[in-house]
Amino acid sequence: MFRTCDITGFKVDLQSEKLIRANAVFAVISLLLAVTAAILLVFTRYQPVHLLGAEWYYRLTTFHGLNALIFWIIFFEIAGLYFGSTVILNTRFCAPKWGWIAFALMVGGLVMSNTIILMGKADVMLTSYTPLKAHPLYYLGIILFAVGALIAVILFFGNLMIARREKAYGDTMPLVAYGLMTAAIIAVITLATGAIIYIPTFLWSLGLIDNIDPAMYKLIWWGLGHSSQQINVAAMVSIWYMVSFLSVGGTSINERVSRSAFVLYILFICLASAHHLLTDPGVSSAWKVWNTSYAMYLAVLASMIHAFAVPSSFEVAQRRWGYNKGLFQWLSKAPWGNPAFAAIILAIIGFGFIGGTTGVIFGMEQTNIIVHNTIAIPGHFKGTVVIGTTLTFMGITYYLIPLIFRRKIVGFKWAQWQPWLFFIGIALLSISMIVLGQLGVPRRHWDSTFSGGPFTHNFNPAVDFFWALMMLGGSIAFIATIIWILVVVISVFFGPKVNGPQDMQLTISPLAPQPTKEHKGYEAPGTLILTLIFLLVFIALFFLNWKWLAATWNVN
Amino acid sequence: MENTHQQEENNNKVTFGRMIMDDFMLLLFLGVTIYAIFYLLWGVMELSNLPTIPDDIKQNLFK
Repeated sequence: MFRTCDITGFKVDLQSEKLIRANAVFAVISLLLAVTAAILLVFTRYQPVHLLGAEWYYRLTTFHGLNALIFWIIFFEIAGLYFGSTVILNTRFCAPKWGWIAFALMVGGLVMSNTIILMGKADVMLTSYTPLKAHPLYYLGIILFAVGALIAVILFFGNLMIARREKAYGDTMPLVAYGLMTAAIIAVITLATGAIIYIPTFLWSLGLIDNIDPAMYKLIWWGLGHSSQQINVAAMVSIWYMVSFLSVGGTSINERVSRSAFVLYILFICLASAHHLLTDPGVSSAWKVWNTSYAMYLAVLASMIHAFAVPSSFEVAQRRWGYNKGLFQWLSKAPWGNPAFAAIILAIIGFGFIGGTTGVIFGMEQTNIIVHNTIAIPGHFKGTVVIGTTLTFMGITYYLIPLIFRRKIVGFKWAQWQPWLFFIGIALLSISMIVLGQLGVPRRHWDSTFSGGPFTHNFNPAVDFFWALMMLGGSIAFIATIIWILVVVISVFFGPKVNGPQDMQLTISPLAPQPTKEHKGYEAPGTLILTLIFLLVFIALFFLNWKWLAATWNVN
Repeated sequence: MENTHQQEENNNKVTFGRMIMDDFMLLLFLGVTIYAIFYLLWGVMELSNLPTIPDDIKQNLFK
């Protein structure tokens, strides 16, 4: 059963639509759980308040990690995979019953793991490094969730096969679906690794296996922990291309190069899991250097290609619409009132300047040693997963509300401000955490003043300022997330129905017109300038960190 | 006539690179294999070949 969308013209499988809705709703619930824990953690680490006791600090760190990094992200990605493989490819859902089984397993896993954590039987942090042992149901919950997610990914491939067999698309798959296919392949790698490590750990927690080697556990677990964040990268970049298409009618200036960049992700991005073992003595430097370089930086090259291709797709489209004046009229005349567009541009900036630069610097064996196990590391991934992925997912939701849930966005003015507020909050949070880490503040530590401990440490007095900044940023981001959740929930459940294109509050742009005469010179000079600025910032930070390393570790 | 036919054939010829890029099962296989060899197997082999701690040192550690 299909309906034809009167706004986009897409053929929408009704079964697929229901599954997209269900997964998206649980993504929002997971995010609410994650940010509730997050705000309590911020006010615990902020020493003047120091809200929670030690036990609840570690309990909620576990809870926050699992809900933010696994449940929120994967539920949303499954919704995205179903959307990409059926709606974008104009095809039917291959096995809706299995879609509901997968969904039930994922919900069951979420409820089981969260209940066990809140009961205080799994204070093991997200990583659950052995020999820390949680209740068996904690591991079982994660296994159920992973099995459900794996079934969903298999269904995505089933949908792709139907689309190919029924020739639902032309010679090659559309770029957005191609990017989502990349995310699905990385998800298979991730979930298979998860099974390799969680099944024996579950048996160990039941007493059926005597011992899990901690070094081996850490190596395999990070194949799951880090690679799961690479699913986000591929899904996020695909959404960037999609929003360029929807908001200004932009397409990649060279689709083939963009596709090649996705292939580089498939081949090499998961190797980066080795970042987490950079100070582990068990593995050799050769293993560390090869893997943390994503195979000689080929996956980094892929990110650089997308970082250039996505903004240039906006610029070229805007110029074709006539915004040609100077270097940046295309940007000043961009549809900033469209919250999805604003969210995506801010996500690109934050992901590149904060998450991307620190990712490469902290991922090198030498410069990593300055910040290893400090609060700079979660600061870095706030710059990737939160300002990049989460803000992107928030942005695309503004399109999903009218197109999939068929509701108008309630509180549209709030929706227009929300991405900016979220960006400012997370940027403050992330940057202050990175600086705190550079000043030696440890991560995952209930009391960084070490009060009552046998050892103490006097931090640079500047840390007090950055703690306050972190608390401020965390609070702003929390408020922005609550605004987003309220806008989404009220719109989806109580919003007025969308009856046609006249009810659409966000632009759906036609494809940008083709140039009438052949263009001479470079088509996206503004993007080129922005990219050069990014490279200069990256070089400056890179140099600064090496200088810092030389100052810390003086070798004569 | 023959030239046109040949030109059409050339246009329809799928390059090796595009064949790989369009085959998602092959990409899945390559992605899993590269990761399994370089990250997992290489890492597991290195950890498996670590010498065990001599008993006297172990006893001292647990004293």
